[in-house]
Amino acid sequence: MSALSAVVYREMKIRATNLTFIFWDLFFPLLYMLVFGVGVNSALGAPTGIGNVGYNEFFLAGVLAMASFAIASNTSWSFFLDRDNGIFYEMLTYPMRRSEYLLGKVLFNVLIAVAQAALTLAVGRALLGIRLQWPKLPLLLAGMAIGTAGWFFFYAIFALRIRRNDIFNSITSVFYFAFMFASSMFYPLEPLPIWFRRAGLLNPITWEIDWLRYTSIGIGNFHSILLEGAAFLIFSLACFAFAVRCLKQQE
Amino acid sequence: MSEFALEVENLVKVYASRGKAPIRAVDGMSFRVPSGIIFGLLGPNGAGKSTLLRMLSTLTLPTEGTAKILGYDVVKKPIEVRKRISSVIQATAVELLLSVKDNLLTYARFQGLDKATAVRRADALIGEFQLGPEVDRKVQDLSGGFRRRVQVAKVFMVDTPVLFLDEFSTGMDPILKRQVMNLLRAEVEKGRTIILTTQVLSEAEELCDDILIINRGKQIARGDLNTLKLLSEGVYEITLAFDHLPDNIQAEIAALSPIRSAIEANAIDLALKIEESRVMEVVSALSRNRHVLRVEVRGASLEDIFVELTTREGRELK
Repeated sequence: MSALSAVVYREMKIRATNLTFIFWDLFFPLLYMLVFGVGVNSALGAPTGIGNVGYNEFFLAGVLAMASFAIASNTSWSFFLDRDNGIFYEMLTYPMRRSEYLLGKVLFNVLIAVAQAALTLAVGRALLGIRLQWPKLPLLLAGMAIGTAGWFFFYAIFALRIRRNDIFNSITSVFYFAFMFASSMFYPLEPLPIWFRRAGLLNPITWEIDWLRYTSIGIGNFHSILLEGAAFLIFSLACFAFAVRCLKQQE
Repeated sequence: MSEFALEVENLVKVYASRGKAPIRAVDGMSFRVPSGIIFGLLGPNGAGKSTLLRMLSTLTLPTEGTAKILGYDVVKKPIEVRKRISSVIQATAVELLLSVKDNLLTYARFQGLDKATAVRRADALIGEFQLGPEVDRKVQDLSGGFRRRVQVAKVFMVDTPVLFLDEFSTGMDPILKRQVMNLLRAEVEKGRTIILTTQVLSEAEELCDDILIINRGKQIARGDLNTLKLLSEGVYEITLAFDHLPDNIQAEIAALSPIRSAIEANAIDLALKIEESRVMEVVSALSRNRHVLRVEVRGASLEDIFVELTTREGRELK
């Protein structure tokens, strides 16, 4: 436990040196929703196939998932910084398990993700009048926490296996494009061509978004949401196990 | 608890990469190190020193064999090993985005030190390592030498019984190096065991109670300085300073087949493996018909022994 808290303390200390970064982390989904969401809502209105909600409501879950995805990618990039500083290898000789190192690294960022979700929900409700399912709020925040952790473990696999950060950056750019656009983040999957819809349904970020959408505004089928939540949990655990293995192979 | 700080048995590390022949970086080493001494690992570049330290500090898994720190196996009980070690790795390892003081405090937190003790020790070390004016600056704004100071200072924050230092003095000025060497000696007197690698042989000569010379992943010689000097009996260092450097001196030196030689300004410095009775004969030959300002004849230094043993091993391998 003390090793875990030490890693969280370190991450917090490093992040606290850059207040702009913390501000951006906290307000990024909110600003995205206020600019992009309101823009699309005003120009195009609500898309078909999402029931009786406006685009702002629909996009809320997408923007929260996008934020967890971005935090995870930024956190995993810090492996490169740590490796360049040499501190990465020294830390591997500290009295902690490899799993504690990974969990500690993501824990602080999970807290940021949960805080930004709470902020986005509160401002979304106050400024845009989004009707939220308050009783499901704990499930939504749990979804944000697991979502951020799952994507961090996923990215960590690549950050630990790839030695060059330019290659890693190229891969994350491809991931951003593929995962975000082949999902229910910006538009519903139902009206899309069948191949596109299938790709979206196989995409773990769709599972996360559908969970967040159900727990925020109540859209979706409870049983399929439960299935998607379970699938995302399995995806996260598998990524965690593989990332720990990659960390053990660092030489 | 084991009476030995370190027990290594048939340790092997093979690096295999696709399309290339496997490299045996450490090739069947076996040795034990008692607690409370400074143990030096010496060897030329690529000898396997850093790989050995990486295995001992649980950074790298051995391919074969066992290694134990205070009785704990580095593969089977890595956490127990990590609780008992601190490491200064070869590369500069610091938290660039944190201040000097936060570097020390964060390290202490990882090692489970309580806050009051950590602050007290950090303040003391900031003074000892002359980091006072830089204490609140981010390490990324400091020079390489200062970064190394921060890195080395960290291991004095804690009382882990075993300390690994890989080329610890890199980038340090001579005054600070002297202070750190004194600190290391004081730590050993408190009972800590220090395993260090260095290429600065005078450093090893001054610090180490016991030395292991390795080359190409294998042990070549082991013992304290006197034992190693016996292994290299018949090696003498000769220094001659002239009023001006003789024209044909290089050819004369080459004819003597020295272990090493150096010419600096008007002086020559040779290490020769010869019979004692021939030493004065060589000095006379080199001085004949020349104006000699200074003559020095000494027994072998660790550097001579090191060069003699590692090149002898190389010759035998060929």
